[in-house]
Amino acid sequence: MKIVGVAACTAGIAHTYLAKEKIVEASKKAGHQVKIETQGTIGTEDELTEEEIKEADVVIIAADISISNRDRFENKVVLQIPTHVAMKSPKALIKKIEEEINTTA
Amino acid sequence: MKNVGFIIKKHLLTGISYMIPLIVASGICIALAQIFGGINVAENEGTLPYFLSQIGGWGMSLVVPLIAGAIAMSISDRPGLAPGLIIGFIANEIGTGFIGGIIGGFLVGYAVIFIKKYIRLPKSMEGLMPIMIIPVLATVICGLLMITLIGQPIAAFQNTTLNWLQSMEGGSNFILGSILGAMASFDFGGPVNKTMSLFADGLLVDGVYGPQAVKFIGSMVPPFGIALSFLFTRYKYTKMERETLKAAVPMGICMITEGVIPIAARDIIRVVASCSLGAAVGGGLSMSLGVGSTVPHGGLLVVPLMIHPLYFLMCLGIGSLVTGVTLSLWKPAIKAEEENMVEEEENDMEPELIDIEFKRGAQ
Repeated sequence: MKIVGVAACTAGIAHTYLAKEKIVEASKKAGHQVKIETQGTIGTEDELTEEEIKEADVVIIAADISISNRDRFENKVVLQIPTHVAMKSPKALIKKIEEEINTTA
Repeated sequence: MKNVGFIIKKHLLTGISYMIPLIVASGICIALAQIFGGINVAENEGTLPYFLSQIGGWGMSLVVPLIAGAIAMSISDRPGLAPGLIIGFIANEIGTGFIGGIIGGFLVGYAVIFIKKYIRLPKSMEGLMPIMIIPVLATVICGLLMITLIGQPIAAFQNTTLNWLQSMEGGSNFILGSILGAMASFDFGGPVNKTMSLFADGLLVDGVYGPQAVKFIGSMVPPFGIALSFLFTRYKYTKMERETLKAAVPMGICMITEGVIPIAARDIIRVVASCSLGAAVGGGLSMSLGVGSTVPHGGLLVVPLMIHPLYFLMCLGIGSLVTGVTLSLWKPAIKAEEENMVEEEENDMEPELIDIEFKRGAQ
């Protein structure tokens, strides 16, 4: 499965990157391809390309704030969660996504 | 609708995320001006500290307009920004402070959405919507509301709060400091900490600097306190936790508390309680001693810019010591199986994850 996502938190210096790390770790362990864009105070890093978004099976938005360029994900399966959920239960998150994708596909 | 709370929080936090660098830049200018120019810096026209104090002061006066604009933009996208800035400026001018800015931002945001939804122009004139109809209508409606109905009670409330805070002394100062300190460290940078931060940042804009210093203490006591506890009783910590501390302490110096979360996760009640206790003691002392900070972020690096920096370090030290001693006495020695655990297991799933829904398409 191909997972893309965006992480963003209030101060834009800590939770954003912790959430990204946890999601990437858990996804890789479960054997998925993953790329997470971070929208921190420093600006957008690891920006998702159009191609990557097109190919992705699911979009995870792990954010406590409104993210920029949300309209890129039109017509995608989107899961919106606060960053702390991604940090505390990354494995359960990936499992939930797997279940969702498998039942609807 | 149970999502309402989440949505409101999201917009509020978006506003704050735009505001933090603005307060930091302005606050540091004010602090530098006071260090080099003394208390009467505003009278020494033409000197460098005088200019710095002007820059900081002007910067601070943008905080309320910016948070209103950013919240409005978070709710209703670009069309919200301009009216949001204007309403925020009005809120600032009539003395509603921070709270007025936040309420104004929400007011404008939803007004813009309402206008977009219910006012329909013929196709040929649609171009007028974003450049004329929305900004003018939203500004006039929300501006009048802010000046007359909404702004006055908030300004009165703000005044009472400020007077109350400034007239507080001795015991009640200690209690307020303790509560704020415990809140700031309670969830290591989570929502409770952010609520406290918001309160402290709001007062900072209004020239009350005490709670801001308490925020520093509450954010830095957990990493330093746990590190002290580790030094006292090494055998109560796993190898993993030792490694975690190597990152958590430097993060703590920069006032990022999140580094200790893995340690708290293994032993949540003892760690949270000890950290909150230490932060409460440190925060209470800090408020009683009149420690203050004009700078909202920066950790140990900005301590020299504070009001009574030595007292601040003392309060931080005492708070961390209380946390360290409590935790060392309270924590049980590790068991063999915990030491062998390569990584933390997630036993209990975040309850929120259960009823989060997938959505198709952009919302």
